[in-house]
Amino acid sequence: MSALPPSVLRLIETFSELPGIGPKTASRLTFFLLRGESDLALRLAQALQNLKTQTRLCSICYNITEQDPCLICSDPQRDRTTICVVEEPLDVVAIERTEHYRGLYHVLHGALAPMEGVFAEHLRIAELLRRVESGEVREVILATNPTSEGDYTAAYLLAKLRPLSVRVTRLGRGLPVGGDLEYADQITLTNALEGRREL
Amino acid sequence: MRIRSLSLENFRNYIRLEMEWPEQPVLLVGGNAQGKTSLLEAIYYLATGRSPLTGMDRQLINWTAEQEGLSYARLRTEVVGRHQVREIEMVLSVSPNANGIPRLQKSIRVDRRPQRLRDLTGCLNVVLFLPQDVELVAGPPAGRRDYLDATLSQVDRTYAAALETYGETLRERNALLRHLAEEGGDPAQLDPLDERLARSGVVVAQGRHRLVGELSRHAGPFHAELTGGQEWLRLEYHPNFDPASPPALTYQRPLLVEPGGLPPGVSLEDLERAFLQRLRQRRREEIERGMTLTGPHRDEVRFRVGDVDLGLFGSRGQQRTAVLALKMAQLAWMQEIAGEDPILLLDEVLAELDEARRAALLSLVDRVEQAILTATDPEMFSLAFRQRAALFRVEGGIIRPCERAV
Ligand SMILES: [Zn+2]
Repeated sequence: MSALPPSVLRLIETFSELPGIGPKTASRLTFFLLRGESDLALRLAQALQNLKTQTRLCSICYNITEQDPCLICSDPQRDRTTICVVEEPLDVVAIERTEHYRGLYHVLHGALAPMEGVFAEHLRIAELLRRVESGEVREVILATNPTSEGDYTAAYLLAKLRPLSVRVTRLGRGLPVGGDLEYADQITLTNALEGRREL
Repeated sequence: MRIRSLSLENFRNYIRLEMEWPEQPVLLVGGNAQGKTSLLEAIYYLATGRSPLTGMDRQLINWTAEQEGLSYARLRTEVVGRHQVREIEMVLSVSPNANGIPRLQKSIRVDRRPQRLRDLTGCLNVVLFLPQDVELVAGPPAGRRDYLDATLSQVDRTYAAALETYGETLRERNALLRHLAEEGGDPAQLDPLDERLARSGVVVAQGRHRLVGELSRHAGPFHAELTGGQEWLRLEYHPNFDPASPPALTYQRPLLVEPGGLPPGVSLEDLERAFLQRLRQRRREEIERGMTLTGPHRDEVRFRVGDVDLGLFGSRGQQRTAVLALKMAQLAWMQEIAGEDPILLLDEVLAELDEARRAALLSLVDRVEQAILTATDPEMFSLAFRQRAALFRVEGGIIRPCERAV
């Protein structure tokens, strides 16, 4: 028997399902919302609802978007002959921040990780190959993370892209090995983009 | 080299230990399960990042502490080398991963800077001798591979790095092969892993090849001395995959190649290419069986005297003598290659040896800067030895100096 009403308990349990949040943090967040300014909980509820109902994946690049195609894919100013392949939507944010890239993106939604049960068919790889096959694309930049999984994914993609007579490049050195792209600073990322090397 | 201090927190039955080590040989005396072996285990763990007793590092965390929510163990030591003093610290902790499953994390610091396992190479070198090491001769081959790996990783950084890569790649590749067997998928996903496996695999195979040759070279004379010139021990390396000679042949004849050398006209790249080719040849079979069938994870090492394989036909006594010669060889080789003495860790090993072999083993104590020995019964050691050693009593995870020789 718990001394807490079911609506409070349910939120604590739900918070606990999130990565990195234990029961203690979950309780703290719940009581913060319970005591805090009255519209915070409501704004949060609205934001959570919109997260699922208003967003979808872009049918071209598979980035998260509210309109399809996404703002980048539908921007006539962008260079449609270059595709930058990244693991996660946050990597797009990081590269956009550099203001040095004018091409399009392709979001894989992960990297090959056999130990974690992530294989090629779980990533947006077939979609990428179809995009490249359809013509326009002249260069594919492999901007997966400089980790062992990111390198593995890049090597696999390279083998798949090679027969498609397209230029394939990999981000240049300078990115901290083992790190995530999304945490790289703008100058490092700009240098890595400009120093990209042909594979 | 020698260790100057050792501190343990929640490691096995040591809730908290702070110990300064004297210069002379240390004899740890105490009953069974009081913590003598755990202390040697801790030092070995700081040297190699692995336990000689368990593959499950979680067991190293004190059980009572874990029950009380203190799911961590901490080990720290100061190592005085010829050129510098280094501090090694390791923390084992259990915390839930992103999916909420508890995972063991191991963090390593050398001189307070975070390092990887491979960076431990050369920081602290040890030769450990446990009673159960006699199983090295007749036990399963995995024990012999682990022994070679731990020995090489202590002094050869390139080897340590290749071994780490090989192990990770092998686990990934096996997971992929299982997936391909059960659910299907694109076999081309194997290609990048094959390349990584081959590149690291040939470094591992070459390292072991070289080490077995070196150990054999040193162990022969020691073994002859221990057996009164009767027997000469030889170690043989049988790589699972040797491009210079098919596996079926290597079991019938010893390797003709010089220790450490490649067959004439063969380069590491050639070996790598041959390894890759073999992986390609067996791909279909590997996918069917869902595992990697070729590579140094299936290597074998045999102990021989003349034509006799000691693992198959040696008496218990012969096997014990062979291991003693092996450890003596390891010590000599490590001195040679590192230019420094490893620390000698002897656990209860005198009990099973006769007078002559005991004397041979104890003579090693004088060949190193630091030796740490354990015994249930100190009478096993001569009075002369007890008088020059520093005696400590170990009881329930607490260590106290003995006032006088026991
Ligand atoms: Zn898009």
